[in-house]
Amino acid sequence: MRDVIVVGAGGGGPVVAKELAARGLDVLVLEAGPRHAKPREEWTHFENDANNPLSGFFRFGPENRDKPAWFREWAQNSFLWQLSGVGGTTQHYYGNCPRAYPGVFAGYDGADKAAYDTKHLFPFSYDELVPYYEWVEATLPVQTAAMGTKEEVYFGGCETLGIPVQTRKTTTGASYRPQENAILQPGGNAGKTSDPNLLQYPKATGCTFCGSCFQGCMEPINAPRNRFAKRSTDNSYVPMAITADVWAGGGKRATLVTDAFVTRVHTSQGNGEPVATGVTWRDNATGDEHREDARVVVLAGGCTETPRLWLNSGLPNPNDWVGRGYTDHFFDWVIGSFDDYTGNSKGVGSSARCDFPGYGGLENVGLPPAIQAFSALLSDSGIRGQYTNGRGMLGPWDGPAGRPMGPELKELLAGGIDNLLNVLVITDDHVEAQNRVTRSVLPADANGPVAKVQFHQRQRSAKTLANREYLARKAAELLRGAGAKKVYRIDWAPLILHVQSSMRMGQSAATSVLDSSAEARWVKRLFVADNSALANGLGGPNPTLTAQAVATRTSEKIFQRYFDGDPWVTNESPVESTDSRVSMELSKLGL
Amino acid sequence: MAKHSMTRRIFLARVGVLGAAVGSGILVPATAHAGSAGPISFARNDPAGLPGLEDLVELLRPLLAELSRDTLNGLTTFVVPGRDAYSRAQGTPRNEPGALDAKATDFMIESLDNFVPFPQQLAQPMAAALTTALSDLGIDLPGPLDDLLPGQVKDLDDALRVLLENDATIPLSLVIALLLNLVATQVNPLSVHGAFVSPFARLSFEEKAKAFELMERTDSDLVALLDTQLPEPLRGSVSGLLKFVAGALIEFAGFGAFTEYAVFDPRTKKLRGTPVGWRLSKFDGVADGWNELKGYYQGRTKVED
Repeated sequence: MRDVIVVGAGGGGPVVAKELAARGLDVLVLEAGPRHAKPREEWTHFENDANNPLSGFFRFGPENRDKPAWFREWAQNSFLWQLSGVGGTTQHYYGNCPRAYPGVFAGYDGADKAAYDTKHLFPFSYDELVPYYEWVEATLPVQTAAMGTKEEVYFGGCETLGIPVQTRKTTTGASYRPQENAILQPGGNAGKTSDPNLLQYPKATGCTFCGSCFQGCMEPINAPRNRFAKRSTDNSYVPMAITADVWAGGGKRATLVTDAFVTRVHTSQGNGEPVATGVTWRDNATGDEHREDARVVVLAGGCTETPRLWLNSGLPNPNDWVGRGYTDHFFDWVIGSFDDYTGNSKGVGSSARCDFPGYGGLENVGLPPAIQAFSALLSDSGIRGQYTNGRGMLGPWDGPAGRPMGPELKELLAGGIDNLLNVLVITDDHVEAQNRVTRSVLPADANGPVAKVQFHQRQRSAKTLANREYLARKAAELLRGAGAKKVYRIDWAPLILHVQSSMRMGQSAATSVLDSSAEARWVKRLFVADNSALANGLGGPNPTLTAQAVATRTSEKIFQRYFDGDPWVTNESPVESTDSRVSMELSKLGL
Repeated sequence: MAKHSMTRRIFLARVGVLGAAVGSGILVPATAHAGSAGPISFARNDPAGLPGLEDLVELLRPLLAELSRDTLNGLTTFVVPGRDAYSRAQGTPRNEPGALDAKATDFMIESLDNFVPFPQQLAQPMAAALTTALSDLGIDLPGPLDDLLPGQVKDLDDALRVLLENDATIPLSLVIALLLNLVATQVNPLSVHGAFVSPFARLSFEEKAKAFELMERTDSDLVALLDTQLPEPLRGSVSGLLKFVAGALIEFAGFGAFTEYAVFDPRTKKLRGTPVGWRLSKFDGVADGWNELKGYYQGRTKVED
């Protein structure tokens, strides 16, 4: 019997695995997708090869790319961009690590208290989470982002908005700043050349400004895996978890099994209530089923797959909140075209942001051509100049919101991919029960009934709808201030990223699945450690850092509650994931 | 002519199959044989060959593949027009390359048919709905399509049904093509005739946009009609999926056209040439790094709380 089984090696699961392996527990991590142990052999920077959601190496599917991706049902014009594999969705994220706004936590008493999702606050205070933020920020590590041209252009726009620069980790008011990123700052030749001979580690360290964050990070060339620039968990927490014995006193290395889809969580009755006892997983390659027992089971399959697994396992759901309250930051997309070079396709995907507590935020996003075209074409407002779907909002952008398509798309891109600047609108979307994951009635796949994801694009709360409009206007003003000659508002259909809170922890037992320790209210020894555990949409900031801080806190709760251990975050100093002992051990392991 | 036969004739014309069959010579209109002893149908009625329904199904298969490709050519050039006949036909010719040069149609067909894990349990009822759901909306069939004999239409209809209902795997690209053509003929009934095999490909840019508007509209009659033909519990799922499909077809046609798909060698993981989308967008391409570091905003490399 294992001490702990972690289901999923995405953004959250490896945090628990690393923390508890460091305490000497016997941890098994099961990941449904591929390992990607040798990215220089397996990956390229090409968009279709990497990001095709059906056949790319970053897709939601098994390791064998000749096999179809796994099916999920969308019941609306939308796209759920998640992926399987070690690192999960952090494989293609931009490393943005802002903290949540304090207003989304219990006990907040600021003047703008009423502006947040007050019905769905975190069941503990911001101050209580700060030590866990600090622990994760030191572990990854999180650093202040360097600038490329697109950040200079973006900041030029920010300087016209009449808001101050923020110079602290905690956000207390409307402001702008470089991102706090889980991207190692450039060193040596990094950021100064495209000559591969000069970009060999250690002649180059940290971010080389390759512009391929969305295609996975394998820079600098020949760097140890735990010193790749982007601190996705495949480069940070996973290497630490599988080498825990060499860098943590009394640590025990975690076992990682990939291409292993968990199909069922097992329970038994204990003291009149269900207790998790283990899982069944299916080998994608052979179809063979395996069963493993453990003292504690931690679900970290993500906001869509964790509720699916729960429901497919027949676990209790007495208040019907499993899968509900799924937030997605109700994104929107505003594009500016410029006469001058913006560096859109180069550098970290996003290194600058604006925060508007009570509304959400904005960030710059740099893209290569195909994702740029995709992003311009994902709209709920139809085709510009042709039809509006009853929307096509007017504002400080040019013409109605909607897709620039056909000749207009070509003309937009013909100005040059590096003469564009994108602003992502990240709305403070309030938790709504109607946005949810259920089991689809469409035929099951080999892993059981598939997930159906429902998003009500137009029927959000009045505050959520107003927040998005406020921010879209700010985005257009920013781009005008930066010098854009033309500004397009796309009115994105749901691009389901930044997914959160579908298995939410909460103050009220009536509207949450997890208690304040992230343990299931109705199944003991069963915890959730991915974004689905978050209580709300954080007010807008990107969720990865907060999910990892909460997962660190959850690790302590598990260790105290079921292994008679003591907490460590306030008493010890974290080891940085770039630690040379990790590098050396990875080298021995051929990783 | 029996009402059912007329309805089926119109349906087959609307999804593009009837026109494709005539265009390819599988079906021969009666007027084409004026002066002969009687109406000449295709081989099934040929006493010498006596091929049956199965043979017609086999004749139909490549025809449907061609229809799919033609329809998706109409789609990809709608999203990214170029210097091709489809872009000219829709009224948006361009001097620079477009979706067809980027092999975006191949990208769509390969993706739809090989990688979308679309359950056959869903594809088959959808195809069945497409082949049975649609009533006569009063579209005239002037010219050779109206000249076919009921027997010919019935044979073609039978073959299509066999193919869609009995095949182990229905290509999703075909289901999509039938859907696009059906909506195309709703937007412009005259699109049953003309250049190309596909009614959708015959539409103007504005008409193609109207076709997508019909599919995207949440209250689309067409979507509702397809949905009601399906058994529970699939009913609500299909209408939702079709709304998804309408958006996804546009987004992924654009994605495909701007990727390296057409020139990527999966064996070496290298490019055989410069992707069309890179030329169109003046993209510098991929590299392990760029000379792009400008320093730190206000010189600050670190913040504390």
